[in-house]
This record gives sequence, structure tokens and C-alpha cells, in this order.
Amino acid sequence: MLAEGVNGLFGHSALIIGLAASVFGAGALATATLLKDQRLVRAVQGYVWVALIGAVLAVVVMERALITRDWSIAYVQKVGSPDTPPLFNFTALWSALEGSILLWLLLLAMYTSIVARRYKARMADPLVAWALVTMLVVTAFFFFLALGPTDAFQAGGVPDFAKCCKGPNPLLQNHILVLFHPPILYLGYVGFTVPFAFAIGALVTGRVGEGWLVETRRWALFAWGFLTVGIVLGSWWSYEVLGWGGVWAWDPVENASFLPWLTGTAYIHSVMVQERRGMLRVWNLSLLVATFSLTILGTFLTRSGVVNSVHAFSDSTIGPYLLGAFGVIVAVSLGLIAWRGDRLRSPGAIDSPISREGAFLANNVLFTLFAFVVLLGTVFPLIVEAKDNRQIAVGSPFFDTMAAPIGIVLLFLMAVAPVLPWRKASTELLRTRLFWPAWCGAGALVLAVLLGATGLQPLLAFTFAGFAGGSAMRQLVLATRRQGYRGLLGRTNGGMVVHLGVILIAVGLTASNSYTRAGEFTMNKGDTVQFAGHSFQLNDVVDFTAPNRVGIKALVAIDGGQAYAPAISKYTAQGMDVGTPSVKTGLRYDIYLTLENGSKPSTGLAKVKIFIKPLIVWIWVGGLLCGFGTLLAAFPGKHRRRPTDPVSAPVPLEETVDV
Amino acid sequence: MSDTEVPVAPVEPARRRVAPFVVLAVVVVLAAFFVVLATSSSGPKDKVGIVDSPLLGRVAPTVRSTTLDGVPFDLARRKGSWVVINFFNSTCGPCRAEHPELVKFSEQQQGFGDSGAELYTMLQINNDIDAVNKFFSDNGGDWPIVRDDDGTTNVAFGVALVPETFIVNPDGVVVLRWAGEIDSDMLSRLVQQQRDIYEAT
Amino acid sequence: MSSAANLKRWPGWVLLFLVVACFLAYGTAKDAGPLTPEQRVEEITKHIACPVCDGETVYESANPASAAIRAEVKAQVAAGLRSDDEIVAYVVQQFGEQTQLLPKASGFDALVWMLPAAALVCAGVGLFFAFRRWKRNADAIPDDDDRAMVEKALAAEVNLDGS
Repeated sequence: MLAEGVNGLFGHSALIIGLAASVFGAGALATATLLKDQRLVRAVQGYVWVALIGAVLAVVVMERALITRDWSIAYVQKVGSPDTPPLFNFTALWSALEGSILLWLLLLAMYTSIVARRYKARMADPLVAWALVTMLVVTAFFFFLALGPTDAFQAGGVPDFAKCCKGPNPLLQNHILVLFHPPILYLGYVGFTVPFAFAIGALVTGRVGEGWLVETRRWALFAWGFLTVGIVLGSWWSYEVLGWGGVWAWDPVENASFLPWLTGTAYIHSVMVQERRGMLRVWNLSLLVATFSLTILGTFLTRSGVVNSVHAFSDSTIGPYLLGAFGVIVAVSLGLIAWRGDRLRSPGAIDSPISREGAFLANNVLFTLFAFVVLLGTVFPLIVEAKDNRQIAVGSPFFDTMAAPIGIVLLFLMAVAPVLPWRKASTELLRTRLFWPAWCGAGALVLAVLLGATGLQPLLAFTFAGFAGGSAMRQLVLATRRQGYRGLLGRTNGGMVVHLGVILIAVGLTASNSYTRAGEFTMNKGDTVQFAGHSFQLNDVVDFTAPNRVGIKALVAIDGGQAYAPAISKYTAQGMDVGTPSVKTGLRYDIYLTLENGSKPSTGLAKVKIFIKPLIVWIWVGGLLCGFGTLLAAFPGKHRRRPTDPVSAPVPLEETVDV
Repeated sequence: MSDTEVPVAPVEPARRRVAPFVVLAVVVVLAAFFVVLATSSSGPKDKVGIVDSPLLGRVAPTVRSTTLDGVPFDLARRKGSWVVINFFNSTCGPCRAEHPELVKFSEQQQGFGDSGAELYTMLQINNDIDAVNKFFSDNGGDWPIVRDDDGTTNVAFGVALVPETFIVNPDGVVVLRWAGEIDSDMLSRLVQQQRDIYEAT
Repeated sequence: MSSAANLKRWPGWVLLFLVVACFLAYGTAKDAGPLTPEQRVEEITKHIACPVCDGETVYESANPASAAIRAEVKAQVAAGLRSDDEIVAYVVQQFGEQTQLLPKASGFDALVWMLPAAALVCAGVGLFFAFRRWKRNADAIPDDDDRAMVEKALAAEVNLDGS
């Protein structure tokens, strides 16, 4: 086997086996379901496991090739280098497109086999069967991608070390978060395949009532949690690595992860309306389809090179396939929805806009609008180019302008919605329930103004954030008073913990966007400068060398204490300069130091940029709370409403906590 | 499914009348979107060759600076001769690669005596002067190297990606912009072309 | 208890709105001061895309072209002859439209601003009509048959859940 080494051979074989297993599995299960052949249905389990083994094997072989530096593989030549540190050599798997598809494939195969295992006993149910067929088809598509357009195991020929084998992009080898951010984000991305598959199953079988929701709710929740944590980790990575002190830049890749988050968030809210009231059936299906197709579309946008991004670490020829997949997904889903349109007619009615369902409806309008704005802004340059052949850009000023009002209204909804009863709310009830939360908002405003915050938009954001926080706390306090720590469990209460996390993120983003202060100082060794009430002394500027890079770092003592060391490194293989900021984290603000070009150890001169960034840490804590709250929400609460309780009964005026 | 008109459909009891239009609208929008995506070009958009510039046909922006030898430089004072300005950075690969061609071009023009074009290298901001000096002493090139410590000249000429080469005629008017690497034959030919046009008018 | 309940009637709310209005007004008014030159440079450079690097603003980017633009913006702000918009326009004129991050509000480009507004209006109008229709249909009161049907369906759902 002369053309390819043992790793390439094993990798290709694993992928071929996986592709065959998922294709046969999907075919067999579809046939069996159509023919109602139970024996064949049981056989499908085997196919799913083989597909999983194929995916696992492919990833393991690729890691083996990376670790053993098997230069016979083109991908190893692309992202591997003789001297990448072990950790970043391991993460090199997902540092370019081909390996990322392998990671995607692995997670997808895992989700598929978990679905197959969990619903093993119910595989005779056509809805479940069609869902699994959908998962297998998607898996087969990714096996196909991994074999054809993005072949990670392609033979690389004789490596020319003068040109190849430089290791991953320097930005992907200087922070530990590279280990966590992509897999967790992908867990969220890929996780939305499961609810989508169940939605397709529901449409195919025509059982579009509320049964399939029960299956997908928790899957959607988990996917959402992973996606949220993944996005926050991505912001953290950008903050720690990119060196301009920001966490979010509305870059196309960031938008691509944010779009499914928006529609997914809309879904996990509006699905409750369908559960309680049997309404919004088409809408919920559409949201799931949108979420899944947006993950594919986002991958297309950022990986095909049609939009440029600071995070797009590789371009490729995968574009047409992903675009085709996007088209097929949308066309099939729309076709199915149109076909089942008669069964999707929902019986209920929403009595009053001032009600829980009314608030969810408003929430959905806003989230969908938000998603529309983000998508429009991301693809608008393409539209203009197609129409006029002009190059334009749509950047963060646009998104910031649009996102601020939407975000503020969403915070307001977050404040009001949790106290609203289903059906209809009286003024009396609102006045009572919202009283203390509203004072929390007023308190937040007063505190913010006393601390020196200015500007209408940030102040409104803080007010409503306090208000929303008060509402969430009210719910949690009432629930824990009644049920002890179990009052934190269940969808409503876990959801409130998530709300608190989102509020922290919103406050952190508002404060850091509005009140960051920055100063640039040229210092000689031994100089001290005063900035924002702190003193910064330049202890030294030194050269340093590491196996794969050389650089300079400044040692800056903050307030005479510990020295922080912002650096600029040149990654010798790529010839790329990468700044590494140094951050002193604090609850109230971070002090963020970067070393600028023009610093020289030989002259003892350093150009240091100092950012004072308020409340950044709140964003990371908020992300953590979101993840934690999602976990809590996944546990069933103690007092589950009996499903047979009439929901149409009038709501008593006193607290109805566990809704 | 980004179309916000969708929420109307599920909540509308009289779907019989509204739904087909909503569906049609969604399908049309999505189809148009699909076509835009399918036809959008991908890949690098950086062009090598003659490119457009708002400066073409206009008097060149004011450039007042000093050369690395400490001699004052004022572009307006170069009127009367053909001027070629090459934007350069010692850390840029293509700039280093095209350097021998510029050396050749410079020698060629010097052969024409006073009527030959003057070549200037314009540095980028923050370019390490020691590195530039070292590069020129290693690789030859005796024409003046002009500093741009405040970046004004680079911005005024709209130079983002070096190397770039501009030709300025004896009236001080910018007549040509070339992006990317250039070789000496091409550069001489372009200068000659502009000379012919200039002399014809 | 009754005093707490009374508090939550109008007096408490009126006080709340007064406090919020005062502090909002104070906080907003305090903002009116002019920007420092550094803040202006920051604002301006955040509105310009780095002409060569993908998806970064001039403010963020470490590229020499961005450094040059930053220096130029700083110089122009210090000279004080041009407004923020004019400085952005000057740079965009040199480097091309793709460096302008805030899309124009005129011509075809204005669509990027108008479409979201149109979408919001459509959604609002749609919801308005939906609520009106629901209100009309809301007279239908579930009878015992309906309740039995719901019960059956919900029971089936519980079984589906497998719990």
C-alpha cells in the first residue's frame, strides 16, 4: 500500500465503513419502517454502532498520525510541526477544516448512537424511526464530506520542510481554551441535529401534535447549554488571545455561532407555549429547521471563503456541498411542512397579550428579528456584490446599533415574563408581583449612577437587567422557600438560573463596551506611569525564546505588586507576530495590558497599552451560570404539574410558582 | 427561515387565505438568498496588476518627510521628472522578492541620465529602520528610502498591502498604480507608456 | 400586611418611577460632555475596517496599514479640522468602500437598515390581527368532550415520555 501509509489506510477504511454503515442503516431503517419489518428494525442498532466505531476510529487514527508526526498525511503536514507542544499538537485536530469535520462527525455519530440506544425499545414507533433515519442521513453526509471534499487522510507526498509542517495557526497554539472551546461549541452545534431529526420524524409520520416535543425538549436544552457555554468560551479565548481587549466583534464566524443560538433560544421558549396551549406548531417546527439549517449555513459562510473572518483558519472547496445541504434541508423541511399543513392547524387561541404566552410570543418576535438582523448584516455584502459588483462591509457599528435596542427590550421581557400567569394577567397581579423586582431595577440604576455610569442606553440596560434579575430571584426565592434546594431544579427554576447568567453577561457586555478606558504609554525601563488610579512600573523588557517562537515581553508591575508580562511573539515557522495580552482580573474591572510594536529590549523601551475594562469577569461567571442553570433545568422539578390538570382553568391570584 | 413574516402564519386562524402568500414569500426570499450565496465568489480578492485609485489623474498628495540618510524629501519638489514610488516593508515577502527587479529598473533608468525616472522607496509605519538598512546593504539599491513615521503618506496613497508602485508624471500627477509584485521590464514598459501618453498631449 | 399591600399600590410605584426618571435624566445629562481626543480616535477607528486583514477593525488590528490609519486619524483629530464622519469618509475614500463598517443609509445599502424595521412592522401588524382574531374566537368554551380528549391525549403523552 504503497501510495498511502498505515494511518491513511486505516483512516480511509474507517470512514468508508462508517459511510457504508450510516447509508445502509438509514436505508434499512426507512425500508423497515415502511414495510413494518421489526427484525430489520432491530438490525439497525448494529449499523449505528459500526458508524460510531468508524467515526471514533477516524479521529483516533488522526490523533495518532498527529502525535507520531506521520508526514505521509497531507493534513499532518498542514497543521503539524516537529515542535508543536503536545497539548496544541493534540488540538491541532480541529485547527483546520478537515479535522474539524472529523470532530463534527465524531460528535454527530455519538449523538446518533445515544439516540439509537435511548430509544432502542421504541424503534418500532415510526416517529422515532424516522428521526433516527434523519440522523443517519446527516451522519452519512458528514462521512461523505470527510471522505471526499475535505479528505483529512489524503496522502501528502514527501514533505518539504522548508515550506510545510509549520504547525497550527499561532492563534490556535497559545491558549488552553483551544482545548475546550471548539469541542463544546460543536457539541451545541451538532446537538441541534437531534431535535431537528425528531421534527422531521413528526412531519413524516404526521404526528405533529405535542408528543414529539417531549422527546426533543431536553435534547434542545442540552444543545443550547453547550452552545451557550461554547460561545462564552469563544469570547474568552478572543479576549485572552487576540489582544484588543474585546470579547465580541460581530465577526462572521461569531455570527455563525450566534444565529443558531438565537433561533434555538426562541425555540426553547416558544415550545412551552405549544406544550401548554397546543399552539405555534408550524412556528416551532420552523424554528428547529431554522436552527439546524443555520448551523450548516454558518459553516458554509465561514468555511467556503465567501465571507472573510479573523477566525476562518482555512478555506476550502467544501462550499458547494454545504450550500447544497442547506438547500436540501430547507426545501425538504418546507415541503414537509406544506404537506402536513392541514394537521398543523392549532386549535387554541391566546387570550391576552399580557400573559405568559403573550410574552413568549413577543420574545419570539424579538429573537427572530435579532437573528434576521444578524443574518442580513452578515450576508448583505454578498447581496450588494451580486447586485452591483461593489465591495462593501457591514461591521460591528451596525450590529451594535441594532442589537442595543433589541437587547434592552429583551431584558425588559425577561423581567416581566416570569411573573406572568398563563392565559391572562390582571393589573392588580402585575402590580403586586413586579413591585420588588422593579425596585431591584431602580436599585441597579441608582447604584450604576452613583458609581459614575452615564449614557441612556447603558443605564436602561442596567435598570432592566436589575429588574430582570429581581424577577428571576423572586421566582427562585419563592421556589426554594417552598421546596428547599429542590426549588432550584426543574425547567422554570433552572431557567431562572440561566436568566441570571444571561443578565450577568448582558451587564458585563454593556459595561465593558461603554466604559472601557485605554491609554498607550511609551516607557523606559524603570519608568512609572499613572493611569486610572493605578501605577504601572516597567521593570524590564526582555527577549525570550521558546521552541516554536521568539519574542519580547515587558514586565509591568501594577501598583508595585506582581509583575504582569504582556508579550509579542514571532512564531518562527509562520513568520507571524502574535501579541499576548496579560490580564489582572478583578470583580469590578480587569486591567488588560498589551505590548505594542516598537518595543525594544536593547534600548529598554516598551510601548504598553493599558485597558481598564469593567465587569468583564461577570461575562465568564454568567456563562458558567448559564451552563449550570441548563443542568438544573434538565432535572425534573419536584412538583411537576400533573398533565391532566386543566390549563384552561382560571389562574388563582396567589403565587403559582411551579409552572 | 430568517424571514420574520413566518410568525404570522402559525398564529393566523384564517390560514386558508393568508398561508399561500406567506409560503410563497418565504420560498421566493429563500430562493433568492440561495442564488446569491451560490453565485458569490470565494477565495482571495487581492489583485496583482494595474488597479484603480481615486488619485489617478490628480496631483499627488503632499509628501514631506526625510530619507533614511536624513535628507528632507518633498514630493512636490520632484516636479519635472518622472517619479516611481515603491511602497515597501522589510518584513514583507513579496517586497523582498521583487527587490532585485527594482535594482535592475533603477540601474536601467540611471542609464538614461537626467530623463530617467527617479525611484523612491516609501516605508510603512513602524518598519524597523535597522532592518531596512540591513536589507538594503545586503541586497543593493542606492535610491532614497523615505520614512513615513506618521503613516500619512501610506494613508494618502491608500496603500494597505505592500508592495505597491505608483508612477507620478513631471506635472506631479499620479498616472498609474500597480498592486503587488512587479518586474523591471513591466515597470520600464509602463513608465515608457505613460511617457508616450504624456508627450502626445 | 395591609400596609405592604398598600405600598404595592400606587404610592410605591409612583415613587419608583420618580426615582428611575430622576436618575436616568441625571445619568444621561452627565454624559453630554465632549469626547476626549483619545475617545474620538477610538470611536473613529472602530468604524473603519482594516483594509487587509479579514474581519478586524482598524482599532483592533496590528497590521501596519491599520497602524498608519490610526496615526493618521490621531493626527487629524489633533488638527481638529474635520468631524468624525469626515475623517472616516477620508479614509474610506483612500481605501475603498469595503473599509466602511457602518453601511450607508442611502441607495441600495439602506436596505440593510430598512428591512429589519419593515420586518418588525410586519410582525407587529401580524400579531395585532392575530390577537384580534383570537379575541373573536375566544368565546368557544371547552365542553366535557373537549376535556376528555385533552385528558386522553395528555395521558398518552405521559406514556410516551417513558417516565
